Amino acid sequence: MREISYLEAVREAMTQEMERDPRVFLIGEDIGEYGGAFQVSYGMLEEFGHERILDTPITELGLTGAATGAALIGMRPIAEIMFMDFTTLASEQLVNQAAKLRYMFGGQSTVPMVLRTPAGSGTGAAEHHSQSFENWFVHVPGLKVAMPSTPYDAKGLLISSIRDNNPVVFIEHKLLYKTKGEVPEEPYEIPLGQADIKREGKDLTIIATAIMVKKSQEAAEQLAQEGIDVEIVDPRTLRPLDTETIVNSVKKTGKVLIVHEAVKTGGFGGELAGVIAESEAFGYLEAPILRLAGREVPIPYNRNLERAAVPQVEDIIEKARQLATLKV
Amino acid sequence: MAVEMIMPKVDMDQETGTVVEWLKTEGQQVTEGEIILVIETDKIAIDVESPGTGILQGISAQPGDVIPIGTVIAYILEEGEELPEGAVKTQAAQASSAPAAQHLEESSRVQATPVAKKMAESHNIDLLTVPATGKGGKVTKKDVQAAIELEKPETSAGDLIASPAARRTARIKGVDLSLVRGTGPGGRIQASDVESFQPLIGTPTAVGVKSGESIPLIGMRRTIAERMTASYQTIPHVQFTVSVDMTKFIQVREDYNKLALERGDGKISVTALLVKLVAMTLSNHPMLNSSLVGDNIVLHQDINIGVAVALEKGLIVPVIKNAAKKGIRAIADETNDLVTRARSDQLSSTDVKGGTFTITNLGPFGIEQFNAIINSPEAAILAVGATQQEVRALPDKAIAIRPVMRFTLSADHRIIDGSVAARFVADLKETLENPILMNY
Repeated sequence: MREISYLEAVREAMTQEMERDPRVFLIGEDIGEYGGAFQVSYGMLEEFGHERILDTPITELGLTGAATGAALIGMRPIAEIMFMDFTTLASEQLVNQAAKLRYMFGGQSTVPMVLRTPAGSGTGAAEHHSQSFENWFVHVPGLKVAMPSTPYDAKGLLISSIRDNNPVVFIEHKLLYKTKGEVPEEPYEIPLGQADIKREGKDLTIIATAIMVKKSQEAAEQLAQEGIDVEIVDPRTLRPLDTETIVNSVKKTGKVLIVHEAVKTGGFGGELAGVIAESEAFGYLEAPILRLAGREVPIPYNRNLERAAVPQVEDIIEKARQLATLKV
Repeated sequence: MAVEMIMPKVDMDQETGTVVEWLKTEGQQVTEGEIILVIETDKIAIDVESPGTGILQGISAQPGDVIPIGTVIAYILEEGEELPEGAVKTQAAQASSAPAAQHLEESSRVQATPVAKKMAESHNIDLLTVPATGKGGKVTKKDVQAAIELEKPETSAGDLIASPAARRTARIKGVDLSLVRGTGPGGRIQASDVESFQPLIGTPTAVGVKSGESIPLIGMRRTIAERMTASYQTIPHVQFTVSVDMTKFIQVREDYNKLALERGDGKISVTALLVKLVAMTLSNHPMLNSSLVGDNIVLHQDINIGVAVALEKGLIVPVIKNAAKKGIRAIADETNDLVTRARSDQLSSTDVKGGTFTITNLGPFGIEQFNAIINSPEAAILAVGATQQEVRALPDKAIAIRPVMRFTLSADHRIIDGSVAARFVADLKETLENPILMNY
């Protein structure tokens, strides 16, 4: 199968859905003429024109509100927030309006919109352009949250998100944009709420999201040489969450390490740990549930500090080794 | 250097120990490993070895004193060595605050990194006590961390640490986790430890034990073994047997049970009625309801009757407290409850504590008569045999067949003279043969 990048997979999903469904359009800052801050929508203006590729002023709240309103009257907008950091500005429309309206109107209206946004550190973009806020939105009933880790997942999940009748926060990781993987040319859906076992193993389960899936895969390769057989579960969507796949994996291995980039306190790892502890997997645990996550600091500008602020491959190896050998 | 002798922790749930006897006195020469002290927990009396070689000094706990574990109770000094400051508790309490202030000043002069200082402060670590490894003798964060680790209390043997998987496996396999050795961090029991556990070797039970196997002396079996040995070896037992005509006892019990049936209450067991009658008799014989503790014979105010209950893996003695003051109905209900819970392994530690006299009944096995070992620190135990129909000569020289039971009292002969025990036994016989005396 052909290989394309994560970035191209996202673009292909948007392009194919716009070709299929005239209600789908793109709205955001610098997405048209400029092609997007990460060039995700590069060339799309030429293909679809100004009517369907809408450049807006710098107003995250305004463009999210416009997308919400368009969705309410039957369009299927894809809004792009250039950096996840600025979803804080968009959150009133997203959290208080988009997430609520279907419920408040008793299902008589729906809000079929996608809010795409790149998250994560690693580009030297410092405090305001590096954050991972997924759990802010996981906390809101009425929103769905997708977080693909591979080009294949990015395309399939984005198509499902566009076709879904609920607002979906679609989180792309900046460092994954250039990664390549096999992606079918035809459109396909990956159901929201279906985790993927990225690597099968028997000694311990790593549950990781986004870039941490990739780092965990690298860690697993090295751990395999030590005889430690790691299973990697990628939830792919945080809400809805595929608890069954997670619980089954933990029941199999009895040891679980949760890895995400977002700050540990209040992060999604706490939710995962809670789900596991409440489930029948509890009785299969051989060690405490461990979390490896971002440190309790803003993402620093200094590259060394930036690297130290989030889990790296060597951190995952060390923690996984401790867990596998029951040192914790 | 002065060696501290502390009140040791010998039981899992022990918080204090009672000094029973010093085998060496102040100023005597002692050798490391030599037994110099006898202490007692609420379960067991135990010999304590000297922690060092030298002269025993500064004994601050006397026989009968109840001392928290870990408390220094004496020192072993070298020739010519002085007792450390504050060796005697009372002196330490009265010490003025001046040295403390001076100490504080010294602490602030210790060279330490700012992080180390802050950490030490928030963990109440005295920087003076932290070995420094940093440049120029500075105390570093790592040093303070090490000190904090040292301060952490060690996991007590009483806390069972097991992974959820191990607990689940144990539940499924019916393994008693307290018998399993944990191989995880801090001795945590892992599922694999439970899987590889050999129940036949580990569980001291008469059921399922095959001849030719060896069973380690652990858990309840070890406690029983130690206590029986200690009691039998240290207490001179004296025994008195009496045969009792149970005719009226049986009659009274039947009357009670008719009443109980009418009222819809539970049955009054033989044990319950025995507990009541023994307790009433004991109230007139305080010496039989006493304990020898150190140099004192303690006469107990309450009469708390322990009832030995046989279990598959050993035996346990739940206690009916204040039995002399309770009515037969209350005693019957309490006895039924305790025995039921004893057999289902659901007794709490308070259920088995505080006994002052024990009754053990092997009558159901048809044993006519036997001698029991005293449940130390109690002063006596009553062994109850089977009820048998026997031919008896009545006072009017007539011959009759009567239900007869033999009771044997074992008493601590150090504190109970033969005549004292005999009077109790005679009174007990009279009360058992005329149960109405219990309320007379």
